[in-house]
Amino acid sequence: MRRGRRMRRRKASNFRFCFCGFEIYSNFFFFTQREMLQCIFLLSDSGEVMLEKQLTGQRVDRSICTWFWEHTISQGDSPKLQPVIASPTHYLFQILREGITFLACTQVEMPPLMGIEFLCRVADVLTDYLGSLNEDLIKDNFVIVYELLDEMIDNGFPLIAEPNILREMIAPPNMVDKVLSVVTGNSSNMIDTLPGSTSSCIPWRTTDPKYANNEVYVDLVEEMDAIINRDGVLVKCEIYGEVQVNSHLSGVPDLTISFANPAILDDVRFHPCVRFRSWEAHQVLSFVPPDGQFKLMSYRVRKLKSSPIYVKPQLTSDAGTCRVSVLVGIRNDPGKTIDSITVQFQLPPCILSAHLNSNYGTVNILANKTFSWTIGKIPNDRAPAMSGTLVLETGLERLHVFPTFQVGFRIMGVALSGLQIDKLDLKNLPKPPYKGFRALTRAGEFEVRS
Amino acid sequence: MAPPGQSQRSSSPSQPAGKGEVADVKTQLRNLAGSRAPGVDDSKRELFKKVISYMTIGIDVSSVFGEMVMCSATSDIVLKKMCYLYVGNYAKVNPDLALLTINFLQRDCKDEDPMIRGLALRSLCSLRVTNLVEYLVGPLGAGLKDNNSYVRMIAVMGVLKLYHISASTCVDADFPTTLKHLLLNDRETQVVANCLSALQEIWSLGGSASEEVSREREILLSKPVIYYLLNRIREFSEWAQCLVLELVAKYVPADPNEIFDVMNLLEDRLQHANGAVVLATTKVFLQLTLSMTDVHQQVYERIKAPLLTLVSSGSPEQSYAVLSHLHLLVMRAPFIFSSDYKHFYCQYNEPSYVKRLKLEMLTAVANESNTYEIVTELCEYAANVDIPIARESIRAVGKIALQQYDVNAIVDRLLQFLEMEKDYVTAEALVLVKDLLRKYPQWSQDCIAVVGNISSKNVQEPKAKAALIWMLGEYSQEMHDAPYILEGLIENWEDEHSAEVRLHLLTAVMKCFFKRPPETQKSLGAALAAGLADFHQDVHDRALFYYRLLQYKISVAEQVVNPPKQAVSVFADTQSSEIKDRIFDEFNSLSVVYQKPSYMFTYKEHRGPFEFSDEIGNVSIGTESADTVDPNRVEANDKDLLLSTSEKEETRGLNNSSSAYSAPSYDASSVSVPTSQLSGLVISNPSVSGNAPQSSFAIDDLLGLGLAVAPAPAPSPPPLKLNPKAVLDPTSFQQKWRQLPISLSQEYSMNPQGVAALTTPQALLRHMQGQAIHCIASGGQSPNFKFFFFAQKAEDSSTFLVECVVNTSSAKAQIKIKADDQSATRPFSSVFQSALSKFGMP
Repeated sequence: MRRGRRMRRRKASNFRFCFCGFEIYSNFFFFTQREMLQCIFLLSDSGEVMLEKQLTGQRVDRSICTWFWEHTISQGDSPKLQPVIASPTHYLFQILREGITFLACTQVEMPPLMGIEFLCRVADVLTDYLGSLNEDLIKDNFVIVYELLDEMIDNGFPLIAEPNILREMIAPPNMVDKVLSVVTGNSSNMIDTLPGSTSSCIPWRTTDPKYANNEVYVDLVEEMDAIINRDGVLVKCEIYGEVQVNSHLSGVPDLTISFANPAILDDVRFHPCVRFRSWEAHQVLSFVPPDGQFKLMSYRVRKLKSSPIYVKPQLTSDAGTCRVSVLVGIRNDPGKTIDSITVQFQLPPCILSAHLNSNYGTVNILANKTFSWTIGKIPNDRAPAMSGTLVLETGLERLHVFPTFQVGFRIMGVALSGLQIDKLDLKNLPKPPYKGFRALTRAGEFEVRS
Repeated sequence: MAPPGQSQRSSSPSQPAGKGEVADVKTQLRNLAGSRAPGVDDSKRELFKKVISYMTIGIDVSSVFGEMVMCSATSDIVLKKMCYLYVGNYAKVNPDLALLTINFLQRDCKDEDPMIRGLALRSLCSLRVTNLVEYLVGPLGAGLKDNNSYVRMIAVMGVLKLYHISASTCVDADFPTTLKHLLLNDRETQVVANCLSALQEIWSLGGSASEEVSREREILLSKPVIYYLLNRIREFSEWAQCLVLELVAKYVPADPNEIFDVMNLLEDRLQHANGAVVLATTKVFLQLTLSMTDVHQQVYERIKAPLLTLVSSGSPEQSYAVLSHLHLLVMRAPFIFSSDYKHFYCQYNEPSYVKRLKLEMLTAVANESNTYEIVTELCEYAANVDIPIARESIRAVGKIALQQYDVNAIVDRLLQFLEMEKDYVTAEALVLVKDLLRKYPQWSQDCIAVVGNISSKNVQEPKAKAALIWMLGEYSQEMHDAPYILEGLIENWEDEHSAEVRLHLLTAVMKCFFKRPPETQKSLGAALAAGLADFHQDVHDRALFYYRLLQYKISVAEQVVNPPKQAVSVFADTQSSEIKDRIFDEFNSLSVVYQKPSYMFTYKEHRGPFEFSDEIGNVSIGTESADTVDPNRVEANDKDLLLSTSEKEETRGLNNSSSAYSAPSYDASSVSVPTSQLSGLVISNPSVSGNAPQSSFAIDDLLGLGLAVAPAPAPSPPPLKLNPKAVLDPTSFQQKWRQLPISLSQEYSMNPQGVAALTTPQALLRHMQGQAIHCIASGGQSPNFKFFFFAQKAEDSSTFLVECVVNTSSAKAQIKIKADDQSATRPFSSVFQSALSKFGMP
């Protein structure tokens, strides 16, 4: 990226000025204890230990889970629990996925992001292997989970988290295997050979896959995060996007993707397969892809000037009641259909009752005083509107705490950041493959204040 | 764990019915053990699965150990894996039975399938039974030489496991040397990474400053090794990259060129998909450039975008970890982030711990250009459903007002808060308005007008009430109703539960009395009477004090209670800059998340097994249970930070509010300090001479001694004797080094002979040892050497720690001394210097 290169040159020219200021910084001569995570637990949504994997010689007693669970309950809302917690004996990292808590314990200083990142990967790999995540799936497949953990981490230090490689060491439980095992009587879900790539120079790629039909799909998936204030002004609007690739290509193909307008990207992050130099020099993505689905790149585009739809809430209160009206419409037509439009908001606690109706779509009341208005597509003949009254607590004249409206939408076929793929070149392939491109934008954290 | 009722609710087939089943499984396994019937592996597999599922849910199935081992003679690898898992779990409690498994594991270590070899070796090393270590050496040795990298990788970790069970066996078999060889020569990067991880741990445990070990450590941090690892960094797995980067962060490059080389090489790591790699790289960059101010700043600019992307991309958990680090950087260099303030806007759905961090960052980055927008945004949060966050954001507005330029707009906002009619908003705003008035008295007109409209009945929180009362007292001249409001409050004295409020009430009514005596006299009398009868000691004492003051002379009382005050220019910071620096040194660690240096919360590397008791809920973490701190000592000592944030808030609030009346007591203290104590001060710490002599003159004056007497010169210290056989292990050195403040820092010119003799660090070490000053770590290459020394007093065992950086080209030595006994620093420094000056002399 351009900014990066300028920076490097400046650095090089700067050093002459800094030379006199040079001094050895203090106190990094000592090593700290290297041992990392000591134990991983998987807890169900009722706090039951579903799985325990001790990683080092120092066993972590299960009672830590009891402590953790009591701590969780005392905090009330478990998704709002901090990811790093100090218990009386250990430091705990926890992440929550589909009701399952992944808990890791350590007693020493370590990079917190490493612990959390690793747990996230464990969750991803398990989801990948089991199709989804839930209590029963884990319990039914705990042997595979153990096998996976065995290969993913040794002595508390993470080793492999690349699903492609793990798949070669431990076969996922799928229907084909089950059928095969019935037929052949060989029910091992273990693959006999070691993955070739553990010793190849492209660690993310399976050795030499073969496909009858070579195909590669590139998807741009963008999420728009925005905050719109009560006057309809965009306070903040940016896009977080990912380039997702699904590759089924034989041999060792070499791919190049170039963009029509790479300059709009604010910051990029790459899958390890991307050659950084060619991006730096020509803003071109050059890589040997892993096999299957993967995230090639993620990026951010800041300071967007407009949002595709508007949501205009109006609240006027008088003598203990508050009139609400919300209008939704298209602000900047992206050229493709906007669908799956939803508006959700939580009423402040000081409201006793609410009556809301819409002229289009359905309004549902969820738990916790949350209203959900499902619109879908915006009709041609009228602008969707919702209106009604809120009754305030006795003694309150006016509303002081205003709800925030969270908006959802989806637009197929457009990347709202404006990023465009210019071309995709493939080398090292016997015959030209099928290439597919798609784009999609959806609302991320899209908030409208009232 | 779930209550039993809940765990039975689950319908999964692998759930146990009870203890009887274990016995059942045992018989079934025994029947299968010898069988060679077709399909026997499948039945075994079902049984194994059952056993392991029992084990997982916490049922003791160690009784089937023998049967499991018997059944393990199989070619089915999944069965083997389950068996390894089982054995690994129970071997430690059944050492006798574990012996049974050794045989089949050793056989599997020679299997032709590398995967089985590897797995068997891993299980063998995971048995962790002390009396079986002799069986480990052979397979490990073979494993390290295996031609399959998978096996080598496991063997390397096996060596570390062996080291933990029996360090001597490991060293006797010369495994560390083999690892060192593999580290530098193996083709496979994962083997290299495992070697690195294992060797670091072995050498850090092999601790006790043995010269050999410290030399080995130096080798690991030497230029060739670091470069070798750096050049291959792209081949390493993402986790191994973190490991290497952490090592690089400790490397001391010889010159700026090297720094730039390293940074250029690593720059693309900032774009890595794994957040842990990005943070580890960030740490390297920050550490390398610490001494190069403007490059350091460029580094901030460079890492800004990747970190901001990391925050917005990952899961909420990842975001939080990154955000904590970002928070640290923003606090260090807010101006660099001032244009990115929108990234710190809170989203509705974010958990409150994230919002809290963001609020702090918003407060920090506010400057002339963005204050208006930031304050507007913060005001949005004041109407937030989450009340603690609403409060926090009002406080943030106040903080910005206290540090910023565009106070005009902010005051209006604060006053709007007061009109919002929300009790907690009013409460927070009142406290802020009070602080604001102390800093900007010129706003009193506007504020007083609004504050006057607030009915004291609507203010219930003690802090807010105290603030309101303070304003009533301070501005009783301007607020017409002040005496009457105070009167009303005094009438309800009995119902006022907070001592803080009652104290404020006493002072306020005094102040009011000085300004408007006729209207206040009655209530003053009532307040003093109520105060004297108060059961709270402080309230009673203050009432008594005021009463006697008033009895003595009203004008003196006014001078004491309500002297003309200067506007407060800066409010004390809670976290000292040294603490912040230490947290920064520990970038990419838990310290950052906790916002405390690690020595404050990891008080032992490994705590012993902890007995979980019923009182677990009451057990506080070591750090939190720390000493209480004298709240008046604003100069934050380290212990101050041990208080949890809320407590800190408390003490700060107390400070702020109490300083209204502590002003006179300050005066008093400067007059009444006994001379002996003062002169002690002069002797023990000559550097504070700024204040001390003046006040001592004042005392001299009072005593009628005239001005001629100079403070007594410090008596010459007794000669310092050092213990020639002092011992200190590196861990405690490190801990001490972090905890103690620098008591002396100076530059010292070396004599030319010394410089000439300093070709290797070792030369100086031996010399200093002869002077009873021991070295604990050293490093560097010509012309820069760095040493850490320590010495102990002969009579008591108080220690001195020295960091000494020698630059041979300029012939200068920079010395930083830290000492247990601060007063002995100077004598020690002269001993140290004379020792240093003798270096190189014949």
